[in-house]
Amino acid sequence: MLRAENLNVYYGNIHAIHDVSFEVKEGEIVSLIGANGAGKTTTMHTVSGLLRSRTGSVTFMDKNISHTDAHKIVNMGIAQVPEGRHVFLQMSVEENLEMGAYTTPKTMKADLEKVYSLFPRLLERRRQVAGTLSGGEQQMLAMGRAMMSRPKLMLLDEPSMGLAPILVDQVFSIIKELHATGITVLLVEQNAGKALAISDRAYVLESGRVVLSGTGAELAASPEIKKAYLGG
Amino acid sequence: MTLLIETLIQGISLGSIYALIALGYTMVYGIAKMLNFAHGDVIMVGAYTIYTTISLAHFPGWLGVLTSVVFCSVLGIVIEFLAYKPLRGAPSLNVLITAIGISYLLQNLALLIFGGQQEDVPNTGINVPSLDLGFVVVEGKVIFTIVLTVVLMIALTLFINKTKMGKAMRAVSEDKDAARLMGINVNRTISLTFAIGSALAAFASLCYGMNYTYIKPTTGSMPGIKAFTAAVFGGIGSIPGAMLGGFGIGILEKLSQAYITPIFGEITDVIVFGVLIIMLVVRPTGLLGKKIREKV
Repeated sequence: MLRAENLNVYYGNIHAIHDVSFEVKEGEIVSLIGANGAGKTTTMHTVSGLLRSRTGSVTFMDKNISHTDAHKIVNMGIAQVPEGRHVFLQMSVEENLEMGAYTTPKTMKADLEKVYSLFPRLLERRRQVAGTLSGGEQQMLAMGRAMMSRPKLMLLDEPSMGLAPILVDQVFSIIKELHATGITVLLVEQNAGKALAISDRAYVLESGRVVLSGTGAELAASPEIKKAYLGG
Repeated sequence: MTLLIETLIQGISLGSIYALIALGYTMVYGIAKMLNFAHGDVIMVGAYTIYTTISLAHFPGWLGVLTSVVFCSVLGIVIEFLAYKPLRGAPSLNVLITAIGISYLLQNLALLIFGGQQEDVPNTGINVPSLDLGFVVVEGKVIFTIVLTVVLMIALTLFINKTKMGKAMRAVSEDKDAARLMGINVNRTISLTFAIGSALAAFASLCYGMNYTYIKPTTGSMPGIKAFTAAVFGGIGSIPGAMLGGFGIGILEKLSQAYITPIFGEITDVIVFGVLIIMLVVRPTGLLGKKIREKV
């Protein structure tokens, strides 16, 4: 479904990711794990079109999207839940969801109901400005907002970052629920244990390179991964 | 007492013009995070368009006004496309200097085409009867200015808050990358903002022309800079702030002309820009401006 080949992305002169290649097949949950600064978010932004690779290509459903504008990629069926949530803080919860449906106005009403039934908290707060929500609620809003565009592939960047442990569990169970509705998931996480537990496959990034890949179970059992990311 | 009421009404009328212009500054700042110092000169272009279409080409008044509004909107889009879009992501000082350059370019183009002499503003055929309130008579042009401004402000507020495009504008002004991830075309949204701001400036030039019967190539700079003051006063980036700031500066200017000028001489501009300085020192975000949180 999604294939990234030989991505090399620079910030000015800084070479952020080196020859990164990976693949996400339809129906999978795939994780990119790695430490801070490993290039996970850079990789994700290259898929969603916010950043460009100097080499290689990103192919989505047999179309090369390496040079497609970010706003058009959404239309093709990729939605991103950005790191740090990036909800529109001065807009109401419902307006945020409406923006999520920017490319899919016809199905907005039905999808609003779907999001509200998955996140009853958002329904309670629909008229509230998003800036007044707690971190966990904002994460739910960001995920609900991404659902509104009816994505085939959802990119989730550090969805558990900064959340209390109980909310982290909730976020991961929501990811499983979304996946169960037929959405393919590409997940970026520092919480490697949790990410590997729900992933079909995963890639390990280190200093901008893919150093390991395998199924979630394989990597979770690998001594190197245990040592580096799972606390022994 | 009569003088005070007359002064306040004139202040609201002048403030309406400032508010219309200030909206253009504040919307563009909100969405593109830049100060478009060429905005004042769009008023001048609007006024010359009215002059050209009605006085020289003998269009009917309504058509001249409509042409002016359309022409200014297109001009706003063209300026953004040619001058500012290539500088997206450049340091803000570069953009600011470019804006000042565009301002001089527009003024000198007008000088080249129309010459430096004053031209009379034509009669647009808009004729609102004066209103006699008994203790004070309100002129028709004042009523027209205030009513037009209020109608445009209501329309703009509804557009921004209720329509999909308006909401997209707010989304872009808050977080461009997140807006792109929603599928919003950020460039097109910025163009639309320039078009709306410039159309409002064209309406402002219509009202300005009715009140100050002549135009010249530098006509736009003073109201432009006063409206900029109004936008900062109200809180740059805030739409209600621009409205409030516009009325505030207009009323202040007229009060000063009525009560301070007779005693201290013509120091109104000193007072208006003094207010800008005091505001920047005491409350840099303006009356309704929001604190800008720098992202870490």
